[in-house]
Amino acid sequence: MATLEIKDLYASVETKEGKKQILKGVNLTVHSGETHAIMGPNGSGKSTLAYTLAGHPKYEVDSGQALLDGQDILKMTPDERAKAGLFLAMQYPVEVPGVSMTNFLRTAKTEIEGKAPAIRQWTKDLNASMKRLRMDSKFAQRSVNEGFSGGEKKRAEVLQLELLKPKFAIMDETDSGLDVDALRIVSEGVNRAKENTDLGILMVTHYTRILRYIKPDIVHVFSDGHFVKTGGPELADELEETGYDRYLPQGADSESALA
Amino acid sequence: MKDNTKQTGSVEQPGQTASDTSEAGSGTKVREREVTMPHRDPNNPYAFPALMPSSADKAIRSFSPDAFSIPTKAQDDWRFTPIDRIDEFFHVFEPSGKTKVEVSGIDGSNLDPDLVEVSEVPKTQAPSGTILKPNDRVSAVEWASQATAHVVHVKGENPTPVLVKITGGGLDMDALHLVIVADDRTHADIVIEHEGQARIAEGVEITTGKDSHVSTTFVQEWTPDSKHVGNHRIHVGEGASLRHSMVTLGGSFVRIRMDQEFGGNKGDLNMLGIYFVDPGEHVEHRTMVVHNYPECKSRVVYKGALDGKGAHSTWVGNALILPSAPVTDSYELNRNLVLTPGAIADSEPNLEIENGNIIGAGHASSVGRFDDEELFYLESRGVSEREARKLVVRGFFGELVEEIGITAIRDHLMGVIDRRLSRGEDEQMRHVLEEN
Repeated sequence: MATLEIKDLYASVETKEGKKQILKGVNLTVHSGETHAIMGPNGSGKSTLAYTLAGHPKYEVDSGQALLDGQDILKMTPDERAKAGLFLAMQYPVEVPGVSMTNFLRTAKTEIEGKAPAIRQWTKDLNASMKRLRMDSKFAQRSVNEGFSGGEKKRAEVLQLELLKPKFAIMDETDSGLDVDALRIVSEGVNRAKENTDLGILMVTHYTRILRYIKPDIVHVFSDGHFVKTGGPELADELEETGYDRYLPQGADSESALA
Repeated sequence: MKDNTKQTGSVEQPGQTASDTSEAGSGTKVREREVTMPHRDPNNPYAFPALMPSSADKAIRSFSPDAFSIPTKAQDDWRFTPIDRIDEFFHVFEPSGKTKVEVSGIDGSNLDPDLVEVSEVPKTQAPSGTILKPNDRVSAVEWASQATAHVVHVKGENPTPVLVKITGGGLDMDALHLVIVADDRTHADIVIEHEGQARIAEGVEITTGKDSHVSTTFVQEWTPDSKHVGNHRIHVGEGASLRHSMVTLGGSFVRIRMDQEFGGNKGDLNMLGIYFVDPGEHVEHRTMVVHNYPECKSRVVYKGALDGKGAHSTWVGNALILPSAPVTDSYELNRNLVLTPGAIADSEPNLEIENGNIIGAGHASSVGRFDDEELFYLESRGVSEREARKLVVRGFFGELVEEIGITAIRDHLMGVIDRRLSRGEDEQMRHVLEEN
């Protein structure tokens, strides 16, 4: 049983207008096997939270901690965080030309396990996971994310989740850009990972659509850089009905309300 | 010297005739295919660039060194070149003759004389000296300085790649002339490897016959104190495809200039380049692709990585599409990956399009450092920054290495690139980390 504990996290990003604080006191505790939905309007800082936890160099931690089983991952390099058991499924997975998926996956698995996986078992696992995600086997020979469709990229993220077996996964808008079938396949993959490894999940999303497939235990509303409300699955239904307006800071425009 | 000038005169004549014939030939083809050429508009000379006077290919072509002035920085062809480092190649010299040339199968096997003929002939004996003409002073000096040419003549279906191994003869100046001839409908892969220590002027002529499919891969792995000035003159036959790859991985100074023309319709030229430049080294590749016949295709893709202070690369890609070449499809690209601060990459694509009826004439050029997003993506999956950088550089070159398509060469190149990367990381990579 592992625990991820975010304590009073403040973080900023460098913009053209100077330093801008985005995260303003984030507190959250996630245990193994729990699924937390983090919902909120555009621009509330959900993605910033995801990237700050993963260690993207663009975001600077001002204060606070993120303890994974007592270890502050904010003091680690991104690869050390991954080795500690954190995984970020990105909204826009990056293309890495010339690096084949198979080479990349095997390198990552080797780094995370500390030793190269036995080739026969690895090939078997890779093929089985790809098959379950309805990915063509030719995929493994292609360059990482290069020329993948939106849906293919998300499947490739979930493939990595299944193979690397982290303790906690942050899914950053994994549902965006997916049609109904792809959404179901991707969700099944996430649920499988949860069943097999007792994964803890932070599901960042605008919409309740994906929550029909990946059932959250706890739903949070994120606004203006921190959590403003926490509830059970019924909170998601309420947000679907009423929107985020009432959770916005005074005088702020909701992009989603305008859209 | 006097002797050299005389020989020069004798080969200039056939070269001239060949070029005249090709012009006439293309004119006929154009009319047969009923491709409409634009008509002049006296009020707007820019409306039909095909009728504007050509500026690109007015440069002198001659076998006589004295036809060219001594290179200076003020000349366009030499402005990126540190010319004071190679001024010994500006005057005709007595070659040492120490450079060794060996030809075999790529696996060391003996060659089938029915498929590959190797000979050394007086330089004025055709086909030597018949493919275009030297295009700058150092190329003319190379021609004037040496007396013989090595000829590799391939024919038929060659199952095994041919290896031409050129071993430098030390720092005494030498000149070498190599001629590669492929008969009509030949299939062959030829690898030309340069290694050892050298101070060499090299001329290469390549001519491929009708409907042949040939690859020539030139690898420069000289010692860090070597110098190499080179000139390639290339003729791609009608309906033929030529993949011309240039891999420059070592040498204090390497400058190679390539001139090309097509010999008929539907030729296909694919020029690939890979270079890795260390501190203080100058590596320069200049390609000149001339579309002189209809429906030909050309691709020029050069990629380089520069590592360390004073590493300097130059790529100049010229492409000329003549009025005689409708339905041309051409593209050129150069990418430079600067691994550490203090390196300089010059990259200059030049296009002259004198024909409105083409499929494409694109170009792209870039100089950049590591992409932070790529590195972060790999790191977020547990790959250390050092390994991530290696993966990205391997990937950067990997695509091109795959395209070279010869297994023995591919494995060798990736091995060399890996060794360079692991050598670099200890000292050079640390500097990057510190300075960022």
